[in-house]
Amino acid sequence: MKKRIVSIVLGALFVITAAVIAGSGRNVSEVPAPPAIGATIDDFSLPDVNGQEHALKSLKGKNGTVLIFIAVQCPVSNAYNDRMEKLAQDYQAKGIAVIGINANSSEDAAAVKAHATEKHLTFTILKDSGNKVADKLGAAVTPEAYFLDGNNKLVYHGRIDNSRNPETIESNDLRQAMDSALAGKAVEKPEAKAFGCSIKRVS
Amino acid sequence: MRVSTLTTVVALFITLTFLTVPAQHKTVGTERTKTDSTASVAVANVEPINLDGLKDLISKPKSKPLLVNFWATYCDPCRDEFPDLVKVDGDFRPKSLDFVTVSLDDVADIKTKVPQFLSQMKATMPAYLLDVSDPEPAINAVDPKWQGALPATFLYNSKGEVVFKHFGRVNTAELREAIERVVKN
Repeated sequence: MKKRIVSIVLGALFVITAAVIAGSGRNVSEVPAPPAIGATIDDFSLPDVNGQEHALKSLKGKNGTVLIFIAVQCPVSNAYNDRMEKLAQDYQAKGIAVIGINANSSEDAAAVKAHATEKHLTFTILKDSGNKVADKLGAAVTPEAYFLDGNNKLVYHGRIDNSRNPETIESNDLRQAMDSALAGKAVEKPEAKAFGCSIKRVS
Repeated sequence: MRVSTLTTVVALFITLTFLTVPAQHKTVGTERTKTDSTASVAVANVEPINLDGLKDLISKPKSKPLLVNFWATYCDPCRDEFPDLVKVDGDFRPKSLDFVTVSLDDVADIKTKVPQFLSQMKATMPAYLLDVSDPEPAINAVDPKWQGALPATFLYNSKGEVVFKHFGRVNTAELREAIERVVKN
């Protein structure tokens, strides 16, 4: 009888242990698939770095919205700080809003706010603490961009441009997509692989 | 007596769980802001590799199975899995496995951060750094399904076929099983 109880307890603990271990090591393979190009992105809401909640519909530009997953500590994302700020400034007047999203579980809102101040990032940055939006969009790395047209239809997904080093940019993929959409043309290259640091998701 | 046996078993499992889980949590754990440069061993040599070089590396006929790990010093799960990969290299190189690492760090880090980390890890497998202005063609050449997120690990058999691949921190036991299968054949 005693043996039986011990084996039941052992069995239960094995299952619990296995479940805890399996759940804790989430990695790149488990990032949900991104929506297809052409899919409409449903409205969502996230807090900014000051804790104020914003819905996508309240932030979106009349001609579209760019969502960029960014990071505080990732050197690839940081190499793009000036380019992202310039993108936001250049396209604001053209009716396209640029919004940053930080979904790294290792970077809290205070760190994101301090980083934005230090790096002179003036566009809105939202904190996706539970990876709700990163999961919905299948975002895997930083920086990774999504361009939605004025009707929240996904028209471009991927990198900002081809090169971490601003001196060797050959293909300005995100800007080209935005310019095509503004000109009423189809986006020639709607996807280009984003390259950077893996988003550190909650476990 | 029964209670004390049960208590011992429960305590043992709780201890085991806590010993194992922090190791897993490292995959999503704290950021490292700089490369430790405390290594006292000789600094490793890292060769630049361009798109053609990378294509050659993965597609040329092989006399042995080849393991390729794509990584970067800024990638936490890459750094976390590296000690396991160094052990894999030590265990399987004598059994006819070729293993190379390809860093996707910035070219500017080829003589600093990258070799420093490799030396610290006591890694002696051939080390390359991807020297391209546009990583997309290289990523697609390796695997069109790879989104470029790091780490990424590919095992090729001697015919050059991919027999194992993993995006994200590799499960060392699975990797070792896959290697066992190709080095034996």
